[in-house]
Amino acid sequence: MARDAMKPHLFYILLALGEGDRHGLAIARDAQALSGGSVRLWPATLYGSLDDLRTRKWIEELAEHPADESERKRYYRLTRAGRAALNDEAERLARLARLARARARLGDAR
Amino acid sequence: MNAPTRSAQGLYRVLLRLAPRRLRREHAAGMEELFTERLTAARANGRAAVAAVWARAAADLLHARVRGWRPERVPLTVYIDERTTLMIGSDLRYAWRALVRQRGASALVVLMLALGIAANVAVFSLVNGLFLRPFPFPQPDRLAYINTAAPKWNLDVVGINFPDFYQWNKDQKLFDALMHYDFNAFNLSDGGGATRVRGALITGDFTKVLGVEPILGRTFTADEDRPKGPPVVILSTALWRDRFGGDRDAVGRTVRLDGIVRTIVGVMPPEASFPSEVQLWVPMAGDPAQTYQSYSGDAIGRMKPGVTIEQAQADIRRAHQPIWDTKEKDHIVTPFVRPLRDTFVADYRGAAKAVGGAVALLLIVACANVAAVMLARALARRREMGIRLALGSSRARLLRQLLIENLLLAAAGGIVGLAAGRAAIAGLVEIIPDQFPRWAQFGIDGRTIAFALLSVFVTVVLFGWAPALHALGGDLRSAVSATTNGTTGAPRGRRTLWTLVAGEFAMSAVLLVCGLLLVKAFDRVRSVDPGFRADHVLLASVPLSEGTRPKPEQWTAFWNELEQRVRRIPGVDAAGVITCAPLDNCHTGNFYQAEGAIPRPDGKNPVVLWRTASAGYFPAMGIRLKEGRFLTDADAVTDAARVVLVNESFVKTFWGEGAKGAGRRIKYNDAQAPWITVVGVTADVKHYGLERPMRPGVYFPATVNPLSSMTIALHTTVEPESITSALRETLRQMDPETPLSRPRTMETLIARSTAQRAAFSWMLAVFAGLAFVLAIGGAYGVATYLVTQRTREIGIRVALGARTADIYRGVVATGLGVVVAGVVLGLGGAVLVAGQLGSALFGVSRYDAGVLSFVTLVLVGTALLANGFPARRAARIDPMRSLRTE
Repeated sequence: MARDAMKPHLFYILLALGEGDRHGLAIARDAQALSGGSVRLWPATLYGSLDDLRTRKWIEELAEHPADESERKRYYRLTRAGRAALNDEAERLARLARLARARARLGDAR
Repeated sequence: MNAPTRSAQGLYRVLLRLAPRRLRREHAAGMEELFTERLTAARANGRAAVAAVWARAAADLLHARVRGWRPERVPLTVYIDERTTLMIGSDLRYAWRALVRQRGASALVVLMLALGIAANVAVFSLVNGLFLRPFPFPQPDRLAYINTAAPKWNLDVVGINFPDFYQWNKDQKLFDALMHYDFNAFNLSDGGGATRVRGALITGDFTKVLGVEPILGRTFTADEDRPKGPPVVILSTALWRDRFGGDRDAVGRTVRLDGIVRTIVGVMPPEASFPSEVQLWVPMAGDPAQTYQSYSGDAIGRMKPGVTIEQAQADIRRAHQPIWDTKEKDHIVTPFVRPLRDTFVADYRGAAKAVGGAVALLLIVACANVAAVMLARALARRREMGIRLALGSSRARLLRQLLIENLLLAAAGGIVGLAAGRAAIAGLVEIIPDQFPRWAQFGIDGRTIAFALLSVFVTVVLFGWAPALHALGGDLRSAVSATTNGTTGAPRGRRTLWTLVAGEFAMSAVLLVCGLLLVKAFDRVRSVDPGFRADHVLLASVPLSEGTRPKPEQWTAFWNELEQRVRRIPGVDAAGVITCAPLDNCHTGNFYQAEGAIPRPDGKNPVVLWRTASAGYFPAMGIRLKEGRFLTDADAVTDAARVVLVNESFVKTFWGEGAKGAGRRIKYNDAQAPWITVVGVTADVKHYGLERPMRPGVYFPATVNPLSSMTIALHTTVEPESITSALRETLRQMDPETPLSRPRTMETLIARSTAQRAAFSWMLAVFAGLAFVLAIGGAYGVATYLVTQRTREIGIRVALGARTADIYRGVVATGLGVVVAGVVLGLGGAVLVAGQLGSALFGVSRYDAGVLSFVTLVLVGTALLANGFPARRAARIDPMRSLRTE
């Protein structure tokens, strides 16, 4: 099924959470690292997106926090739907990449 | 954590207020943390990086705020779009019900909007008629006015010499066609009697230039537009209907014009009667070989597409070169070209700008009022909004709902306003028809409708949005649970309401001050001394047919006899003839040399108004003598010594302030001309208008240069109009072929000369009055609303022992403070705006203490009343009842 591209920052947030439960700051750090520095999430965007993803039920907030972290931090976890959305997007990107490579090779041969 | 970080966090916390409340409440700590990390990282890279982080963070917060109105778009599918359209239908129905429920308030809003829009539509169609589509001809932008100027002689417009025109027409390259025209009045007779008609001598290409076609018959042929060509005439639609009852067989019949029989070859459509009521056209039949230098009339050219005025002027001057090279080596006259529009509408430009500005202010005041009413309504509906939100409606949906209500109101106001504006413009043109050129049309066209639509749209966007946001903004949950509706709900709303009221008063002050200054200026113009007696004076023009009386001696004899006979009419006690009466839109200029004249500062010889008059003219008009004597009958004898009467301006201009004129000598601007003795000096007559400066002027005895057309002036002991029929009868007895043309009283001429200013001043005054009423209504409405909202609070205060006077004073003080602030602002603005009115103020100071203090007094005084009534009601609140109301 053809679908619209997911916004990059949403993709990286999901990607960061794909590795394990995280709080907001850690998600921002991961997203920056995973994108090689190209995705820098700013506070309102980050937390706005987290709220948004929660309404879509792609992520959920953890009721209890890991023991070693301070009380005020809020942790998020990828839901089953979120993981599916992440996989769909990854699949879409892969298809796109294959297509681009094939075309590029054709271009070289000419 | 170090100090700079702490203060940076404090600042960021302030910035956080930009973000939507929900985000702030849920995530403030996390956001602050992330920001701190970004900032710390940036510090290593210098100040620019730190600044970039701040800017980026602020943009991030703002962006979230903007997006906050609607959540991140969940991918939509088609059926939701369908639902949206369905919802707009239900929104419309709901809006309609809501408006009908509050019938009174809705009607008020529609009325106020209609008022503002009607005034704007009326003024816009005036401006549209005069400036945007001024001429009823195809592609009017390509029409150019051509004439000649004589800078060395201090003449802006000389007129056109036919051989010059012929030369331009032959050599020009950038025009499709040129036409030369000159007005001429004719005595039209067809057996039954004679009438005076306004006609034009015109060259054959005029249909091509104007782009009009005869509705009947044909235009002139080249053969007819030639010296001694066949005598033909083309009629206007009006004259054709009037004289021939619209008979299509009129073409081919003949009429007698000034004693010459001419064949009718065609009938022109009404719009061809340009630039003023032309009733018939005869060929100019100019002779390119004419040797005498006669300059008269004007020319119009249709430029080829894409040609600019500058290019056109260069083209005509190039075509004119051979004339400079041969006939006219002194370069006295120079042809010029300018847009046709500038030539005929310049007079109205200043007035139109001022009236347009005033009417826009009026619309803003009306809109502010509407906004205040809607805002009050919106605040009162917060509870309803809160409940609907709680029941699952989205804010976006509610916002749309409110905007649709506003749109309905604005549309209703727009329709009513358009209709009312149409009626207003028709009424206006009816009242002062003389002030508008006949060819201008002021109907409602696409432009006017587009303008009205735009007004409606702007109204909704500017004044519907804010109330809607106020209704929905903030914490609606507490609005639901609040026991009273809106006491605590909207301090911001209250501030906005008062700001609107202050703004209304400021704008009303601007309009009132300017309006009153102009009315005062009008009053001053009316009390200007015209230099003659205006009451009980009747004027009428008498044109003799040169066909029946070819010799100048015959004319002189006729004038003498007419004067004698008219004096014998019962009720007439003085009579005389003149070439050109004051305020009658006529002028004949000439140049003179004066013996012992002081040198002119600009070295230019001034244009002198030339008139000839009989001795009886001066007592008939009540013109005052300053020194020497008037002209007498003895001066009129052919071999008498040459004498002249000059006016005060003449003496001042040529011999200096305070000099004596009588006994000195002047002569025509020609070395060979004989000297003429000045026998007397008259007071200046306001020949060109009460507010126009007077030129130097001279009166020669009527016999010096006899003319076949004169104006007779008579002073009456009875109502001047009642003499008209006797005058006509006297003339008929002398010559049945000669018509009495345009009998008019001097008072009519004065009224006409000030009519444009009158219309302009009163229009502004009316707009100011309307804005004033609106502002007072607004202040009253807002004060009443706020008092109603505070019923409970006031009840508590009264229960706690506040005295009636305290409550009263408290309510009035707030309202009055706002009004005073608005008025002060407005007076400042008014003084600035009045500075732009310039000569329209006719010397009335823009700081005129009377006007400024009157406006202040009226505005503050009525505002006191507008706040006083609600305050009295508040002061009388019975605490027991008010506390029980909820």
